[in-house]
Amino acid sequence: MDVEESNATVNLISKEGDQFPVPSGVANMSELVKSMMDDDEEEDEDDTKEIPLPNVKAQVLRKVIEFCEHYLEEPMTEIEKPLKSQNMADVVQQWYATFVDLEQVLLFELILAANYMDIKPLLDLTCATVASMIKGKTPEEIRATFNITNDFSPEEEAQVREENKWCEEA
Amino acid sequence: MSNASQRIIPLEEGWNDEIKAKAIDKLEALLNGGLDSGQASMFGPREYVQIYTTCYDMCTQRSPYNWSRELYDRHGQTIERYLTSNVLPALREKTGQGGTILLRELNHRWTNHQIMNKWLKKFFTYLDRYYVKHHSLPTLSQSGLRRFQTHVYDEMKQDTTTAILGLINEEREGKIIDKSLIKSIVELYESMGMGTLDAYNADLEEALLSATREYYAKKRDFWINDSTPEYLVKAEEALNEERNRVADYLNSSSESKILKVVEEEILEKVEMVLLEKETSGCRALLQNDKSEDLQRMFRLFSRLENGLNPMASIVQSFISTMGDDITNRRQARLDGGEKDKNDDPRFVKALIALHEKYLGVVKKDFSGHSLFQKALKDAFVEVVNKNVGQYTNAELMSTFCDRILKSGGEKLSESEVEETLDRIVQIFSYLTDKDMFAEIYRNQLAKRLLNQRSTSNDAEKLMIAKLKMQCGTQFTSKMEGMLADLAVGSEQRTEFEQRMRSVDTKLDFSVQVLTTGFWPSYKSPQVSLTPEMSKCMGVFKEWHDTKHQKRKLSWMFSQGNASVRGTFGKKSYDLQVSTLQAIALNALNDGITLTFEEFSRKLNLDHAIMKPLMHSLSCGKYKVVRKTPPGNKINASDKFAANAKFTCNMRKIRIPMASLDSSFNTKRVEEDRSIAIEAAIVRIMKARKTLQHQQLLSEVLAQLAFFNPNPRVIKKRIEALIDREYLERSADNPHVYNYLA
Repeated sequence: MDVEESNATVNLISKEGDQFPVPSGVANMSELVKSMMDDDEEEDEDDTKEIPLPNVKAQVLRKVIEFCEHYLEEPMTEIEKPLKSQNMADVVQQWYATFVDLEQVLLFELILAANYMDIKPLLDLTCATVASMIKGKTPEEIRATFNITNDFSPEEEAQVREENKWCEEA
Repeated sequence: MSNASQRIIPLEEGWNDEIKAKAIDKLEALLNGGLDSGQASMFGPREYVQIYTTCYDMCTQRSPYNWSRELYDRHGQTIERYLTSNVLPALREKTGQGGTILLRELNHRWTNHQIMNKWLKKFFTYLDRYYVKHHSLPTLSQSGLRRFQTHVYDEMKQDTTTAILGLINEEREGKIIDKSLIKSIVELYESMGMGTLDAYNADLEEALLSATREYYAKKRDFWINDSTPEYLVKAEEALNEERNRVADYLNSSSESKILKVVEEEILEKVEMVLLEKETSGCRALLQNDKSEDLQRMFRLFSRLENGLNPMASIVQSFISTMGDDITNRRQARLDGGEKDKNDDPRFVKALIALHEKYLGVVKKDFSGHSLFQKALKDAFVEVVNKNVGQYTNAELMSTFCDRILKSGGEKLSESEVEETLDRIVQIFSYLTDKDMFAEIYRNQLAKRLLNQRSTSNDAEKLMIAKLKMQCGTQFTSKMEGMLADLAVGSEQRTEFEQRMRSVDTKLDFSVQVLTTGFWPSYKSPQVSLTPEMSKCMGVFKEWHDTKHQKRKLSWMFSQGNASVRGTFGKKSYDLQVSTLQAIALNALNDGITLTFEEFSRKLNLDHAIMKPLMHSLSCGKYKVVRKTPPGNKINASDKFAANAKFTCNMRKIRIPMASLDSSFNTKRVEEDRSIAIEAAIVRIMKARKTLQHQQLLSEVLAQLAFFNPNPRVIKKRIEALIDREYLERSADNPHVYNYLA
C-alpha cells in the first residue's frame, strides 16, 4: 500500500468545482483527506479519487497545496511559543515567512481552511502570523490593524483596563 | 470565525436532514442488514465530506448557534439508543441457546459496534479536536466504548464468561472449538478495561483460574492411579496444552498464572505420592535406569519452588544404598574367607563405576543441577568413609593407584590410565582422611620410584597434578619434591659417572640423593659394608661435598639395590638383590659357612633385620643360600652357606625381600595432624584474639581440609598451646580463650 500511495494521485475539488490533482503524499498532509484514504483500500486503484472540499475556495486551496508541497520538500521548523519576534522571518524559515505575507482576508481564509482540512503545521503558521500582528501593539493599534470598531463605553473601557492592569505592568 | 458567506444551520435542521438522515440512519441500516466486515467503504468520500462539513459548520458557528455540546450529547445518545434498542434484545434472545451461539452473536454485535464507533468518530471528529479537549470529556471513541460497557458488556459478561469457560473445558477434553471466536471475545474483555486489563482480570481471568483449578483437581484424582511416569507424561502434556491455549486466544499475562494453578494442582499436591510410588516412583526409576522418565520428573518438579528437594534426597539415599551394597559385598567376601589385603580392586572399581554412573545421571538427566550434585557428593561422602575390614578405604584407594601406576599391575593404555586416575581422584575427593591417603600414597610412590617400578613418569606427574588441583599445593609438595629428586638425580648421575671413571673399582656404582622430609623415613641399619662399597661411597661423598658444602649425607642402605653375579657349580646367574642381600651373599663367598649369630655379628645387623634378610635368601622361591637344618623359619641356631646346587631356568633372577618398614606410618600422620590443628588454632586466635571454645572448635574444623579431627583431639591441642603460653583461659570465663602475642 505504501508503494502505491506514493504514486497515486488525489483530485481535490474546490468549492467552485475546480479540480486540483495532487500526489497523495501531499493530500495526506490533511488529516481529513487522510482519514478518507484509510478506509478505501479496496477501491479501484486506477481511478483517481475525488475529494470534494465544499468549504475551501479554489484560490485558498491553491495556497494550501502550495504549502503542503513545500512542506514535504523543506519541513517547517516548530514555532516557538511565546513568539520571540514580530517578524515572521525570525520565527520560521524564509519561505514560510514569505508565504504568509498575504492580504488579511486571504490569511483568514487560509486559517479556516487549515482548520477545516486539519493541517496542523499550516494552522500553526497562519495563527502565529496573526499573533505576530498583535504582538506589542496597543488596543488602539490592534483595532486599527484588524479594522475593529470599539464597542466599549468609556466607563466599560476604564473598568477593563483597571482589571487588566497587571498585564501592562508585566 | 464561521465562514461568513454561508448561512447559519439551525440545530434540528442540521441534525435531522443531514446527520441523522444521511449518516446515522444509513449506518444503522447497513449494520442491521448484515455486512461483511472487510466490505468496501460504507461511505464514499463525497458522502463523508458532506457529513463532516455539516458537523464542522455546526460546531464552528458563532454562539448562540454553536451546536458542539448538542452534537456531542447526541453522538452518545445515538450509540446508547442503538445498543439498547437493537443490540441488547438480540443478545438476550440468544442467551440460553448454548455458549457458542451467544458468543457468536456477541462477537457480531461487538464488531458492529466497533464499526459504528469508528464511523461516528470520523463524522464528529471535529468535536474531538476542540470541544472534548477544552471540556476534558471522554473522546468520542471512549464514550462509545463506555456505552457498550454499561449497556451491553456489564449485562452479558457473566453469561459470556460461563460460555467461554465451557468451551475451554470442552477443548481440554479434546473437542475442536472455535478458537478465533474466543479470541475475539477475549479482545472485547481486554477493550473493556479502557486501556487496562482490569476488566479482563476481574471478569474472565479470575473465573478461569478457579475453573482451571477445579478441572485439574479432578484430573489429578483420576490420574493418580496411574504409574508415576504415565502420570507425569499427562501432566507435561496438560502444561503444554495450557501454555498453547494462552498463546492461541488468551491474554499472554495469564500464562504464568494459569500454569501456576495447574502446577499446584497436578504436581505440588501429589509430589510426594508420585515420588514415593513403590514400583514406579523416583527410586524405582533410578533402579531401572529410566533416563527419560527421570528427565521428565526433573523438568516438572523443577517448576515448583523447592520442588526438587524431596527428589534430590531420594536420589541421595538411593546412591548411598547402592554404595552400601558395594561395601557390604566387600564385607561378605571378607567374611567368606577372602584374605583381607590392602589391595581390593574389585571394591574400588565398583565404587568408581557407581560414581561414574550416577555422575552421568546427574549431568544428563538432572542437567547437572547443584542440588543433585550435592546429593551425589553427600551420598559418596557417606559411602567412601565407611571402612570395613582391616584396611581403610584411603589405603585401598591408594593401593589401587599403585596398581595402575606400577609396572606389572593393571594393563591399561595411556588414555585409560588417565581416565582411571581421573575417576579415582573424584572418589578420593569425598574422603575425609585425605592426609591418610597422602601418607600411604607417598610411601607407595617412594617404593615405585626407588625400585624403578613406575611405568610412566608422565602418569605419576599427572596423578600428582590431579591431587594438587583437588587439594592445593601444600598437599602434594612432598610428592613433587620426590619426583624432583629423581629428576636432579638422573642429571647428576652422568656427571658422577665421569668422576667414577678415574676410580679403580669393579663396582658399577651410582647414588640417588633423596631430600629428607620429602620421602618416608626409613630404617637405616649401619651394616658393615664390603671394602669396595665403602671405597665408592667415599668417592661419592667427596664429590658430593664439593658440590654441596652445606648438605649432610646419610645413607639408606635398606633402600639400595645391587646386581651381583653368582656362580653355583658351573652355572652363573645375575641376581637382582637389595644392598643388604648383596652384602650377605658376599659374606658367603668362597664356600664359607656361618652360623646365624656369626652372620649377625659379621654384618653388624640385629636379629630383626637378619631374619627377613636370611629368609629371603634361603626360604624364598630362589634358594641361593643353603640353610641347615632346612625349613621355612629362621632360627638362631641355623647355619648358612652358599647353595652350590642352585639351578634355575633363567639367567637373571630377582630375589625379593620383605620390607623393613611398614607400608606407612600412622604415627607420622597423627603428628602431622597435631601440627595442622595447632597451626589452625594459632592462625584463628591470632586473627580473633578472643574466642569461645565452641566457636573456636567449629572454625578449626572448617579450616582443616584434609581430615576431620575429633573435638577431643582439638581440645588436647588447645591445652598444649595453653601450656606453651600461646593461649590463656579468660579469667572470667573458662570457656573463653585469649591469644597471647
